[in-house]
Amino acid sequence: MHFARTIGVAGAILTLSLGTQAMAEVSCGMNTGQAATGAPILVGGIYGNAAPGDWSSSTDSAAAYFACVNANGGIHGRPVDYRVENDQWNPEAAAQAAARLVNDTPTVAMVGNGSFIEMAVNANTYEAAGIMVMASACAISECFETPNIVSTNQGPLSSNLGAAQYAVEELGAQHVACIGLNIPNNGIWSCQAVQDFMRSRGGDATAVLINPGAPDVNSALLEAMASGADTILINQPAGIALAILSAAEEQDLRDQFNWIAPTPLYDQSVPAAVGAYWWGHIYVNAELAPLEVNGPDAQNWIAVLDQYGQPDDPRDSFGQAGYLSARFFTEAMLAMDPAQLDDRAAVGAAIRGISGYTSDLMCGPYYVGDADFHMPNHAGYMVKVVEGGFEIVRECYEYDSPYFEPHIALETQLGLR
Amino acid sequence: MRHLFHVTPSGWAGLATAAFGILVLPSLASSYWLSVFTSMGCFLLAIAGVAFMYARLGMVSLTQVGLMGVGGWIALRLNHAFDFPFEVNLALAATATMIFGWILALPALRMRGLYLALVTLMAAGGLEIIFATFQFPNGGAGFWGVQTGSGAAFRRPWIAQSPQAYLRYVIACALLGFLCIELHRRLQPGRAWALIRRSEAAAMAAGVNVTLYKTWAFGIAGLLGGAAGALLAGSLGLLDDGTFRASESVMIFALAVVGGAHSWQGALIAAVLYKVLPALLNIWGVDANLAFVIFGAGLLHAVITAPQGIAGQVLEGLGRLSPKRGAKDA
Amino acid sequence: MILARYGNWLLWALLMAGLIGFFGWGGRPQMVGLFIASGLAVGSLYALAGIGIVVLYRATGVLNFAGGAAGAAGAMTAWQLTAWGFWEPLGWLACLLVATAITLFYGRLIAPRLAWRETVVKAVATLGFALIILGAISFLWADDPRSISLPTDAIGVRLLGMRITATRLLLFAASIGIVLGIWLFLARTTIGLQMRALANDRDLAALMGIPILRVETIAWGIAGLLAGFTGLMFADLIRLEPSVITFMVIPGIAAAICGRLENLAVVLIGGLSMGVIENMLTMSPVLRGVRPIAPFVIAALVLLYYQRGQRLTFGGRD
Repeated sequence: MHFARTIGVAGAILTLSLGTQAMAEVSCGMNTGQAATGAPILVGGIYGNAAPGDWSSSTDSAAAYFACVNANGGIHGRPVDYRVENDQWNPEAAAQAAARLVNDTPTVAMVGNGSFIEMAVNANTYEAAGIMVMASACAISECFETPNIVSTNQGPLSSNLGAAQYAVEELGAQHVACIGLNIPNNGIWSCQAVQDFMRSRGGDATAVLINPGAPDVNSALLEAMASGADTILINQPAGIALAILSAAEEQDLRDQFNWIAPTPLYDQSVPAAVGAYWWGHIYVNAELAPLEVNGPDAQNWIAVLDQYGQPDDPRDSFGQAGYLSARFFTEAMLAMDPAQLDDRAAVGAAIRGISGYTSDLMCGPYYVGDADFHMPNHAGYMVKVVEGGFEIVRECYEYDSPYFEPHIALETQLGLR
Repeated sequence: MRHLFHVTPSGWAGLATAAFGILVLPSLASSYWLSVFTSMGCFLLAIAGVAFMYARLGMVSLTQVGLMGVGGWIALRLNHAFDFPFEVNLALAATATMIFGWILALPALRMRGLYLALVTLMAAGGLEIIFATFQFPNGGAGFWGVQTGSGAAFRRPWIAQSPQAYLRYVIACALLGFLCIELHRRLQPGRAWALIRRSEAAAMAAGVNVTLYKTWAFGIAGLLGGAAGALLAGSLGLLDDGTFRASESVMIFALAVVGGAHSWQGALIAAVLYKVLPALLNIWGVDANLAFVIFGAGLLHAVITAPQGIAGQVLEGLGRLSPKRGAKDA
Repeated sequence: MILARYGNWLLWALLMAGLIGFFGWGGRPQMVGLFIASGLAVGSLYALAGIGIVVLYRATGVLNFAGGAAGAAGAMTAWQLTAWGFWEPLGWLACLLVATAITLFYGRLIAPRLAWRETVVKAVATLGFALIILGAISFLWADDPRSISLPTDAIGVRLLGMRITATRLLLFAASIGIVLGIWLFLARTTIGLQMRALANDRDLAALMGIPILRVETIAWGIAGLLAGFTGLMFADLIRLEPSVITFMVIPGIAAAICGRLENLAVVLIGGLSMGVIENMLTMSPVLRGVRPIAPFVIAALVLLYYQRGQRLTFGGRD
């Protein structure tokens, strides 16, 4: 389908035909090895894939995991019918996708959602419909500060705090310039948290905002330079982040600042795209375990994708998050009374009851809890961009910021601390 | 006076379509299609405004979706600041957008044709940036009223709380919009516009205040666009700047031409192409990027093959089937 | 006399100096310099896009919204060839070729079918074509961080403590060179003469037996080449994202408006000024957030300025 991936696909097919016997064991759901045959359980998912970006890797991974579950006894013998819709980065299409999946279809939950706008448009719809959303690739405040959405990924706020904390503790940062998008529930929200954090540590931070409609990022970089910062936090999607880095390379600014970034720059294409100039100089927060960690659950994810996914499904951290959401959802469903699997309210209650699920892909425990805010994932890794990949420079660490006080209180209440 | 309320065959067909939309459509549609048809209804109203300006005066506005954004912004702002009922917000938003249209028109009116289109395109580009920078109010504090987390609720009209009722409400508003245009066409402004369309010089010589009537037309397009934006805000409960890009404004105009700017059928076809076709392609599982390709190709094809717009072509075809009526209508 | 002749230029120079002074006041001179240099690069891109639009518009009467999309297709092809390991200059050449081929395709096969339609309809039809190209590019190349770099990025000169890469200098020089080249082409060659005749009065030119098809094809070709060059430069200096490159035409049109869709030198200066002012707005705490609005506001003001003193009267042709 895609030029860039064609070669990869061909390679995968070659590997597949040569080494079928070497296929790894997978672990999914009940692990019976028997295909589920009962009445399907309806589950929805919304992703965004259109002109500005492709955020479908979380639903791709979730779909692969559900296919694996269905081939292994399903949920008490019943397969998951996973239906996904594309919001096309269009608010109306996002509302229509939710109408179709939540109102027209008796789905019991939404799993693996990955979008930049869907959650803002639909947060109220989900609340009104009483459906729980176990999202995976979220970048806006609605994913973390509304009652019915819980996301496996950290989003820009948390990942920014992790990067800023690393810069303060290891790189000696005093003043961080946070270059964010001029969008209230994304850049402004997440840069504000960095400012609060830096002030709580006795430092300072400046928010530099880029209008998403602006082609040119150079002026934002210059603004960050002029702010007197010693550290530049590139709180941007990978495309714009690359543009900022190339503008900085042009000015030869590499050694004048510390360069840190949240998870979007943890992408396997980034080291090649930034070029040799930057190798060893950009520190990126990884909200889920980097591929280099490769624990049992990470291997299971890859094996599930190899056997049940499409060859061109991305192996990236949004994919990991989609896999995790689907896995945790399946576990919660398996723990339920089989008679209630079609009851949206009961499934919602079971999801809210999730507490203390673990995976080597995540640093902390996964939980949901009965709250108006959800951010189970607020500990991560720091990696450094090096030639051909990333190098872990700090293992799992929990982010320390006033923002997490209510989350910590909730975790204490759930007995997770 | 009689000619004012005379209903043409095309008018009866329009009323019948609206009646179908109000009485039958909402009970047939699923939640997905209710949402699609509701936003189609909103854009129908906006397209009516552009098509009217183009058909009656030959003026091209490439900022109609931007005007929708203005109307939507005002409606949201009022909703979150005061306790007015929806109708008041709708009326105020439409009026304010009309005034905005006038302000935009006054300097633009010295220009004609392409230059007028370009100055409206610049307005659309500017509005796009403003919306992207300041976003739409969602219940936050301050003038811009934006907060993070989930937004406050948007009050729908009390007679149209359910999605079905809201679709009826939107269709009724669109019908009112078309009637408003038709009324203008049959009164003094319509005659003035017809004269201006023929020749501005002749109109001036005949004592028509060209500036006034051109501005007036801009105001009507603004009124319809503003109302459409407020209705769209009511449909979604919130608005996003992604809806109001400058390219969408150009697209709306292109579709109005493709549909056929001279008749209500053309505006309806344009709205169907703009909202229903992508929804269908989505249901059929067409890749969203390929849907773009299909959409663009269809647009080009229609511009090339149907100079009177699709509606013009269809109506002409119908006219050929019954030569007597065709001759009479012409 | 002199004031009447050079009044507009004087006004422009005063306005630019005033704006730069106003926004740059209190900033470090080096920062101001950096903002201007950065603005000149963006401005050159606006200007190049605008020049492509004007050349084509004058010769064929088509205002082309699809130039950005053609440039995006070219830049993606260049990236793909480089990623496949081809020799880099081959990629750059492919960028120009692809953009030219796409533009010529439209010019030869689609535009003639619309020749008798209104200018505005011809313009919006090209938007349909732009959507086709953008959809196809997004389908072929899934979203992924990508970048293109030219060897000139590594070369730089230091000026007042700031580093300016050879790419920026090349772009700046190219935009001036292109304006001069096209001006000479229009003034000195037969085809140029014929293009001017077409621009002046299409019907009359056709009656005189000017080979319209040939002249138009050449104009489409020039527009395509310019789109390819702009796309490549944009991908290197700004970013390699098809949707961003595609919609660059809108500020490009703003630059074209500054030159009243005819005067290339003014398009160039207008585009450059837009880029500089847009960047200078960064120094204003109030206007910083809305800086991309600059091209549109400037274009609207310029249009109004051109129309000053005109009354709505018996207008001629648009």
